[in-house]
Amino acid sequence: MPDTARALAGANARADAGAGPVGEVYLRRDEIAARVAELAAQIDDDYAGCDPILVGCLKSSFVFLADLSRALGIVHRIDFVELAGYGGRDTGGSSAIRLLKDLDLDVVAQDVLLVEDVVDTGLTLYTLTRTLGLRQPRSLAAVTLFDRPYRRLVSDLPVRYVGFTVPDEFFVGYGFDLDERFRNLPDIHLARVGDGG
Amino acid sequence: MEIPDFQAYRGSEPPQFQNGAELECAKILDYYAVPWQYEPRTFVLEEGPDGRPTEAFTPDFYLPEQDLYLEVTVMKQSLVTRKNRKLRKLRARYPSVNIKLFYKHDIERLAQRYRLDLAS
Repeated sequence: MPDTARALAGANARADAGAGPVGEVYLRRDEIAARVAELAAQIDDDYAGCDPILVGCLKSSFVFLADLSRALGIVHRIDFVELAGYGGRDTGGSSAIRLLKDLDLDVVAQDVLLVEDVVDTGLTLYTLTRTLGLRQPRSLAAVTLFDRPYRRLVSDLPVRYVGFTVPDEFFVGYGFDLDERFRNLPDIHLARVGDGG
Repeated sequence: MEIPDFQAYRGSEPPQFQNGAELECAKILDYYAVPWQYEPRTFVLEEGPDGRPTEAFTPDFYLPEQDLYLEVTVMKQSLVTRKNRKLRKLRARYPSVNIKLFYKHDIERLAQRYRLDLAS
């Protein structure tokens, strides 16, 4: 619908315009789409005849999951999990991580492919693989749009597919948010966050 | 500095953190149930003619399941030359030891990322 296209273009133009939190475009939508298609082709080959369950890790992965799912040729199912994020100085110690939203599907003896927005320290994926691994899936692997392997604190993660290896920057758009905003931007932008460290 | 009741801590003595960044790092590891120890090992870097250690280095954390040492520094990246030199010595003398240095910048990014739920 032309109005939608114009609205999206307008949002990007406004985002680019000033000194707001949305910085320059890091990856254009066509670059993302091309890489997603390549990942889908790999997954199609590896999971041919398997009927895998794609598990999106809310919230930031939802756009990537939607595009990846539509690019896949194989039959597959979709489910979501959401982990409570680390809450800062009032968290930790006796406060353990928990699932805000658990899977609806039973993954016993199923092929599970976790869909992540970014793997950084690996702490989130570490927790998810331990949690879901206890449910005895037939296989458990992960696809991530972004990877920062140089920041990894935990190893032996089942990251089988990587979209882009990225620098240590904050991003917005394509599911990535800044204070819950800008997830809708179709391109991925650098974010201007605070003093930037 | 108030020390929480850590669940994933694998040391025998209560950890004595040097600064808030170390505590914050410990809390993040604990939250994600990554087993950790605090300063469990001191590495001798140089010895004098009598064989006694003249320089040593004690990384802040050890993650036993990852076999990874983690050093946290709150100094600005431009001021960590001495620490970087020690790390180079450690890597040269103990090539099988895995160690990562987390700068103030990294800790701030980590804390900011998790608190603000940005692209983590």
